[in-house]
Amino acid sequence: MFNRKSPRNSGVSTLTFRLWDFTGTALLNLFMFLFIIAYLSPLPFMIIAALTPSDQFLDANAPILPSARVKFNYDGKDLIVYKVPFESGERHLALYKSARQSSEFIDPENPDAGIITWQGSWRSLKAVYEPKPTLDNFKDFLGITQLPLLFKNTIIVAVISEIGVLFSSIAVAYGFSRFRIPGGKYLFFLLIATIMIPSNITLVPTYFLYSGHMLNWIGTWLPLIVPHFFGSAILIFLLRQNFKSIPRELDEAAMLDGAGPLRILISVILPQSIPVVTTVALLHFFYIWNETRLSSLYLGISPTLQMVSFGVQRSQSFFFTPEVLMVGALVVMVVPVVVLFISQRFFMQDMVVTQIEK
Amino acid sequence: MDVTQQEGKLLQIKSPSGTRLQQEARIGLLFLSPWLIGFVLLKALPIIAAFVFSLTNFKMLSPGDTKFIGLENYIHFFKDTDAGSSLFGSLGYFLLTVPLEMVVALALAAIFTSPRLKNKRTSRTLIFMTSIIPATSIFFIFIGSLEYAQRLIVQRFDLPPINGFGLLLPFMALWSIGPGFMIILGAMESVPNEIYEAARVDGAGPWARFVFITLPMISPAIFFTLVVNLTGAFGGAVLLDRGYILNFSLSPMESYINETMFRNGNLGYASTLAWATFAVMMTLTVLLFRSANRWVYFPEEDEVANV
Repeated sequence: MFNRKSPRNSGVSTLTFRLWDFTGTALLNLFMFLFIIAYLSPLPFMIIAALTPSDQFLDANAPILPSARVKFNYDGKDLIVYKVPFESGERHLALYKSARQSSEFIDPENPDAGIITWQGSWRSLKAVYEPKPTLDNFKDFLGITQLPLLFKNTIIVAVISEIGVLFSSIAVAYGFSRFRIPGGKYLFFLLIATIMIPSNITLVPTYFLYSGHMLNWIGTWLPLIVPHFFGSAILIFLLRQNFKSIPRELDEAAMLDGAGPLRILISVILPQSIPVVTTVALLHFFYIWNETRLSSLYLGISPTLQMVSFGVQRSQSFFFTPEVLMVGALVVMVVPVVVLFISQRFFMQDMVVTQIEK
Repeated sequence: MDVTQQEGKLLQIKSPSGTRLQQEARIGLLFLSPWLIGFVLLKALPIIAAFVFSLTNFKMLSPGDTKFIGLENYIHFFKDTDAGSSLFGSLGYFLLTVPLEMVVALALAAIFTSPRLKNKRTSRTLIFMTSIIPATSIFFIFIGSLEYAQRLIVQRFDLPPINGFGLLLPFMALWSIGPGFMIILGAMESVPNEIYEAARVDGAGPWARFVFITLPMISPAIFFTLVVNLTGAFGGAVLLDRGYILNFSLSPMESYINETMFRNGNLGYASTLAWATFAVMMTLTVLLFRSANRWVYFPEEDEVANV
């Protein structure tokens, strides 16, 4: 393209072009770098805040990063070290006895020298800080929430409903992708339509179904588990798109060997679809991990059965400090994010497979 | 012989009863049965039940007094200014967040198609990552940060207290571009290079190429993302479900329905509201699909064959 434009002085222009090219590349990468930093900035902030001692922000002179006041033990008492200005310069001294006009200090480096008296108001002095991230917020958080129980409950519900949702969704997706069913096209349209149904509309009737005398499922995990045994429309859609892309010749080869439909599903289709099945399993896991709505309806009165997202949100009113809130945020998000990073190779790819089909 | 005929024949050998097509349909329906049963029990019947509820004065505390009141709830809905403003609030939420998400996702995807960008995979994962963060965490980070802002800035400088909850909306929208971004990027990367080359030869600049080639070619992906966002904004199922923030709904209509349902226990009217929302959403979806023929480029059948 370039040579076509200026064939004559290509020597000079190649240089300009290269310079331009280099600047463009540098600017583009710089922009992306800055964008990602800005985009993700709440996350480092969250981690720093989670490690910050809660009294740090009560002092206007405290540094930004997690730190603690330097203390000096003298005569069995913890003394706070201040920056004390003298004519000869600033010294770091521990406050021994405070008074309005003049205060008595001890030099931590040389405690035997005795008391140093300093004229002035000790309240105007700045405390000395040392960088010291604390895990106290995590302890507080664990004191408020029953985290091990919440984790255990989430895992149990996730595993049971995962089995159900995978079995039925795979079977239904196989049915949609491989069999000619009269009106199958309309059934598939119906499946897509159920994705769009707002959850509000079915909430009241299903609540009466689950809470009625016949089932009486309030205060159990069943309303969160059983519906998944009927498959999930959006996951069926994802699986079906993938199954359709597997060549039918493979089925036929197996069929000639005498394999029945179930055998074909297990030994031909599934081995070809491990990435998409894993993606679907992960999507369902994220759904269960983040579940709050049904939990609030059916498990609100049974604290021993609650799961992570709901349990942590519920204890939110007991979190007094933003530091503990940040710990809560960190604890809830760490599992999905780690799972994403482990599975990123195919997880995001398979999300894109959801291409449009009119 | 046709492949499917072969298939049918084999099935026929196995069981002589019924024609092979019937047999195939029967097995297919057997595989569909979990979803079919679930659809009837957990979707179709509840939706009909919700419609029946919406025609009654069903109250949670006095179920015995339930009476059929016809369209009274619907008439009340059209007079209810709270419902109207909530519905328009939800529409506004859609109109505010969706363009924001789309524009950012498009711009990022356009940058990602440049061969000059380094470390694409890491950047892509980092951008996608925010879409997977649970709503609980986002909410906690958000209110925690507001509290910090209060302590560090407002209290220190004696400013009037800030009410930053409105910022949660754009914040969450920006942190949910992941799937849309990936879908658009995938579409952009699959645009054949020859088209760009041809346009370049004809003297089209980068901007012209983006507007007249990239955008029309990826219009199916944009359309798909729009439908998905619309579904999500009105409470339908989403691919990446990040859960709810209890006591703080992002969609005004949703919080209004929840209030009617749980606080006032007016289940009949709540069903009316849910149905009305559903109707509005369906109308918008149909309009979106109708408009698709005007601006979405659907490739010819043989072009799609290898996709």
